[in-house]
Amino acid sequence: MPPPRLRGGGIILVKREVILIKGKFSKLLIKNFAEYKWNYLFILPKFLLFFTFIVIPVIWAFFLAFQEFGIFETKWVGLTNFKEAFTGDLFWIALWNTLRYTLTVVPAQIFIALVLASLIHPFSRKIQTFFRGAYYFPTVTSVVVISMVWRWMYTSKGLINYFISILNLGPINWLGSSNWALPAIILMSVLTPPGVGIILYLAAMDSIPESLYEAARIDGAGSITSWIRITLPLIKPTTLYLVVIGTIGSFQVFTQVLLLTDGGPGYATTTLVHLIYNAAFRDFDFGLASAHSIILFGIVLIFAFIQFKFLSTDVEY
Amino acid sequence: MGFKDILLKIIKVIFYIILFIGAIIALFPLYWMFITAFQLPNEVFSMPPKFIPAVVKKFIPLLLQGDKEQAIFILTESLRNVKILFIDTGLYRWFMNSLIVSVVSTLGILLFDSMAGYVFAKKQFPGRDFLFWMMISTMMIPGQVTLVPMYILVTRLGIKGSLYSVIFPPLAMVFGVFLMRQFMKTIPTELIEAAKIDSASELSIYWKIILPLSKPALATLGILVFMSVWNSFLWPLIILNKDYLFTLPVGLKSLQDKNLVDYGLLMSGASISAIPMFIVFLFFQKYFVKGLTLGSLKG
Amino acid sequence: MKKFILLLIGIVLIAAMLAPSVLAESKVKITVWDGFRWPNEEGDKYHWIKSRIAKFEELHPAVDIELVEVVWEKLGEKMNIAIAGHDWPDIGPVDISDGAVNLKYVEQGVIEPLDSFFTEEELNDFFPAALNAYSYNGHLYGIPTSMTVHALMLNLDIFKERGVEPPVDGKWTWNEFVTKMKKLTFDRDGDGNIDVYGFSTYVLKGYYEAWPFLMMDGGKPLSTDNTKYTFDSPEAISGLTKFASLKFNHKVSPMEMGSADVGGCFQAFANPEKRIIAVEPWASWAIATLRNNKKYQMNFVVAEYPTGKTGESVTIGGSGGFVVFKQKDKEKLKIVAELAKFLSDAEQQYTFAVNYGTFPALKSAQAMDPFKDNPQMRQAAEMLKYAVSLPRHLNWPQIDERIQAQLQLVLNGEKTATEALKTAGEQVQRFLK
Repeated sequence: MPPPRLRGGGIILVKREVILIKGKFSKLLIKNFAEYKWNYLFILPKFLLFFTFIVIPVIWAFFLAFQEFGIFETKWVGLTNFKEAFTGDLFWIALWNTLRYTLTVVPAQIFIALVLASLIHPFSRKIQTFFRGAYYFPTVTSVVVISMVWRWMYTSKGLINYFISILNLGPINWLGSSNWALPAIILMSVLTPPGVGIILYLAAMDSIPESLYEAARIDGAGSITSWIRITLPLIKPTTLYLVVIGTIGSFQVFTQVLLLTDGGPGYATTTLVHLIYNAAFRDFDFGLASAHSIILFGIVLIFAFIQFKFLSTDVEY
Repeated sequence: MGFKDILLKIIKVIFYIILFIGAIIALFPLYWMFITAFQLPNEVFSMPPKFIPAVVKKFIPLLLQGDKEQAIFILTESLRNVKILFIDTGLYRWFMNSLIVSVVSTLGILLFDSMAGYVFAKKQFPGRDFLFWMMISTMMIPGQVTLVPMYILVTRLGIKGSLYSVIFPPLAMVFGVFLMRQFMKTIPTELIEAAKIDSASELSIYWKIILPLSKPALATLGILVFMSVWNSFLWPLIILNKDYLFTLPVGLKSLQDKNLVDYGLLMSGASISAIPMFIVFLFFQKYFVKGLTLGSLKG
Repeated sequence: MKKFILLLIGIVLIAAMLAPSVLAESKVKITVWDGFRWPNEEGDKYHWIKSRIAKFEELHPAVDIELVEVVWEKLGEKMNIAIAGHDWPDIGPVDISDGAVNLKYVEQGVIEPLDSFFTEEELNDFFPAALNAYSYNGHLYGIPTSMTVHALMLNLDIFKERGVEPPVDGKWTWNEFVTKMKKLTFDRDGDGNIDVYGFSTYVLKGYYEAWPFLMMDGGKPLSTDNTKYTFDSPEAISGLTKFASLKFNHKVSPMEMGSADVGGCFQAFANPEKRIIAVEPWASWAIATLRNNKKYQMNFVVAEYPTGKTGESVTIGGSGGFVVFKQKDKEKLKIVAELAKFLSDAEQQYTFAVNYGTFPALKSAQAMDPFKDNPQMRQAAEMLKYAVSLPRHLNWPQIDERIQAQLQLVLNGEKTATEALKTAGEQVQRFLK
């Protein structure tokens, strides 16, 4: 029986399940408990941990957005924090910067990961291992170290200016100029090899059975065609994962920016998490910080929905 | 025919060159990190950068010249940072703490997340999608706002300040479930059905079929989790109160004076910190098996 | 199968070991936070506080003190979270100006006022500026143990190289300053590019090395009663304009000047491989480093900020010390207050002055002459006379952020002084009420 239809949106997913649960719960529960038992059991440990260490704090933070936090007393202020968040002088700049960052870095990194993985894949195991390692190892360097290296490279007499001086340009005050600061940070992120993406793509490509490619070859398909028609679609689950995780991560970009420019010059590199961080740990305004977080969460959720819509497949090998 | 082969070979070589150059660019910050650890104090910021530390350039020539004293001096000077780290600080303790925390977290997550991921990927039950979306959406909430409630929670649970407080929270991480689900979705359902028909129990399906087929995903997840927990800094810093319980990143941070960054020391610490992750990678990478056993199973 | 169950049991067992610890309630437990200070021979940077704690426990056997060793850089976050989680320490190494302890905490009653624990005599022994830094609404909320100032550090080697004399007694007017900076900016290796600059510094929220320049013609950020923004006065604008002219007109500063790179700024000045800046302003902690740190040791002197239209030098001063957090128990409060005083008596302040590079907050400690062999510290101590403190406003961090952001835009050439200070004024209005 098809699930009951309701008016549209992601909340529907939740509503549908809740209605399904409510309506049929007792029936299903008794009838199929034996069958579902293992499912629930398998999820149980993770769910307990998840509930304790993530859900409870998140609910607390959620309710805090509607309150004004005080040490000894906290009062309910309804939507005041949200109003303050949206009318803050820094909110829209931060949002814009964060969007610019995410919408550049995420596609770029996934594209690079895809290309590099595809280039590595045809080689022998030994060579594969070498490159897999070579591209993965840099990711173990903490973001702090990478930021320091890049900050050094962006100084007036640093490596980057050295390169562009060869083209008779510059020197540019990279991290000190409103126009170049954010692009500089974006460049750093893009040029930091997406080791994780490469490894995941390679793993996914490894799992595609040779027989599919053989069949295609027999049908006369060239390598590019089989790449487009076979490889790309079959690694969609990985792509979805990378896109969603990448978006979530990029929207929360903070440490690199803190180390390179601390949000400056002016507010050229201030991001949404900056606002959250300052509200919570500098101004001691946890209610406002929570409100900002919910707004951020909402934006990312929308992105995720769209991504799931486009990239979800039920692909089996 | 011959021409096509040659063309393919040339393309392969070009790929190889591109990848190689890419690898060099990628490895540069890492390389710089290692050599800075061993550089003499005044080499760190020279421009153009000294790509080969003085110790390498000068050690052998000095020995050959018979100037043993100078040679040894340069060697000990460049190992200065390493000495400071190992002898003057609690590095050994910090290292062991990080190791315990990371290993336990990684094993726990590999187990729990593969179990949960399997169910989300292949099983139907009421509330499945709701639960999944609930988990995914919590990733979208910036960690900063959950720090305070986590702190209160951990205090109430009585584990504040102990290593448990840095082992348990990571076990709740969600991205592993997402990763395993995506990967396990690609496992052919027929295999599971076939096993059921052979009256295999749920547990043995999981243990004997699903897990072996998921080796690359497990290996990847293992590496990612280990790295994430090993490098995690903010939460351990907030919740750990004693120097001898610090994890490595926190301990290394405590070596830095307010505004002075001793880059040599910092990079030595970072280099030492990076080594276990290399080892973990090398350990797991043998599971990145090409083609897997899928082909044979299907056949 | 078996392995699986064993693994599961193993993990459950670990989880079960979650018993909350039960402490013996017989002693009074005090929790003290401290950051690392100077190291002893074994490299223990917390040895000072550990020895003080041991001493106090000896004198008071019924007391059990737990030390939490913190890292300065993240002290603010850690403390904020602890406070929000109602888990504050009994004593913390902070001041109440901003950073770790927000004035909001004071207003909400998280900090204990310590007025009743000091006699009139004891209070008079403190330098007024230090007491001021810990006072709010007429009460004393902590014990100052040290004072800091910002001063100019001069690399004498570069001065000598160019045959320039450092200012007599460390005093100079703006014009004298500019003239000397010009002489100290030169092309060292003859390749046509300037290698060495006279002056540089950074601009970053929460840091005030550059501010005395802005204030040298009489400009002030807020009115004395903290209700009005006054940084767009003609005096402030002229101060900022002069400061920016160092980079754009007189060209005695490199492109990095005014950026947010604190570490790079210090390296350019103090790293023996670089040393390409002759003069940089730093807070007084730098004096200890430039004297004692093996790598950064420098032949240097300390000078005042140049004087502007007011004819008087200005600098920004700060204060450090200990704060006592809210106690539920009056008896415990007495002991905690005693411990706080024990940690900040004249003897300790003298020790800090000698080893840690801070100025004592007690006149009696200053009288013990900790700087007899330290000409740079003595020179800097002179500047305490001119030190002004930052406005004590509840929302100062947000006000500061707006102002510093605009300052950055002046120093990278994107705005004029007038535009910047006026914009800051507009943005700051909402925080002034």
